Amino acid sequence: MDILTLFKQSLPALLSGLYVTLEVAAISLVIATVLGLSFGMLAISRNKILKFVAIVYVDIFRGTPLIVQAFFIYFGLPAALDIKIPAFVAGVLCISLNAGAYMVEIFRAGIMAVDKGQMEASRSLGLPYGKTMKLVILPQAIRNMIPAIINQFIISLKDTSLLSVIGIKELTQSGEIIIASNYRSFETWSFVAIFYFIMIMALTYAARSVERRLKI
Amino acid sequence: MIQVKGLKKVFKDLEVLKGIDFNIKKGEVVCLIGPSGSGKSTVLRCLNRLEEIDGGTVLVDGQDVANNKIDLNVLRQKLGMVFQSFNLFPHLTVIENVTLSPINLKKLPKAEAIKKGFELLEKVGLKEKAYVYPDKLSGGQKQRVAIARALAMGPEIMLFDEPTSALDPEMVGEVLQVMKDLASEGMTMIVVTHEMGFAREVANRVLFLSDGYLVEEGKPEDIFNNPKNERTKEFLSKVL
Repeated sequence: MDILTLFKQSLPALLSGLYVTLEVAAISLVIATVLGLSFGMLAISRNKILKFVAIVYVDIFRGTPLIVQAFFIYFGLPAALDIKIPAFVAGVLCISLNAGAYMVEIFRAGIMAVDKGQMEASRSLGLPYGKTMKLVILPQAIRNMIPAIINQFIISLKDTSLLSVIGIKELTQSGEIIIASNYRSFETWSFVAIFYFIMIMALTYAARSVERRLKI
Repeated sequence: MIQVKGLKKVFKDLEVLKGIDFNIKKGEVVCLIGPSGSGKSTVLRCLNRLEEIDGGTVLVDGQDVANNKIDLNVLRQKLGMVFQSFNLFPHLTVIENVTLSPINLKKLPKAEAIKKGFELLEKVGLKEKAYVYPDKLSGGQKQRVAIARALAMGPEIMLFDEPTSALDPEMVGEVLQVMKDLASEGMTMIVVTHEMGFAREVANRVLFLSDGYLVEEGKPEDIFNNPKNERTKEFLSKVL
């Protein structure tokens, strides 16, 4: 069988895997961004308890491997709590919490990098802390954070491949399934690799254009 | 309008203000002078509580600034502040800088805030720069925008923290001119400055601070021509 025929044969399975990968990644990254921003705000707060909560969250998810987190959420938690978590939900939860922990640090560093005179100027105008964050600090911080955020998006997109271990039929798992029926490892893994590569390149270029547009 | 009594401020183990007393009346222009590290800027920053007050009382319009029950954001609207390093918002245009607080604190409807913003920019001579971003402005222009921004909330008192210290010499004049205009309109102003010429010409009163103490105060002609305290004499002999 020539490579084109092989590609055509595997395409439906690859595309459905691609779709699942994109779905998991997209949902997770939205949640991760919200987690990163929320816990990031705690991390920079002057309240020691709030700060501690953020540190504990970050330390737990940075301090353990993603694959262990996936097993823990998918097998560990249901066993302990006597509940059932669908693989897709467990996967999204896992990537969200993991990426979120890294995003906390990105947000924290991004906010701290904004000159403290900005906070003082805004507060001295009578703008409350929350409005100052939203209108003055975050717009500047996020601009500087974009490269780091995109980097995290790329890492997390690739991390979704690990979710094959809990049986989610994402792109990598689709590759394995295809090979199980056609035994063509070299070609199939090449297809899978190219699919990932294209996704990440698209993300990279989209990010670059956003970055260019936001330059002052 | 402002009463400061026994004001103390401690940074870690360092006591930078060791009990400062002074009053400011409405319409007065008061210059704070003194060597670096004497606590001039800290005094100013305690007035709108950008620095926490560690002792003594500061009353603005009869309101205790250190009291946690007062609405600090309302208090700060009465006190416009201008910083040495301008601190314009770089992601906003000049007019957006000036109208940010009036619009977001709903002091004025947007159209009116913009109209008022243009008036203020005209006052500082920068109407034509309204839609420019701060990085396209010279230092002097930035500081004039910062003054317009501070005026936008209609403050009763303007605080200037070394407004010309970060400027190239040829730009100092334009900023001082705007401040003189403000003073002649009757604005109450407290100015931390190294511009002795400005203090002499514009101030009603000069306060000399050294090592966390208010060492001497008086009319500019008295302070500059007949300083009584040794430390004042020594300082003035260096800067004049």
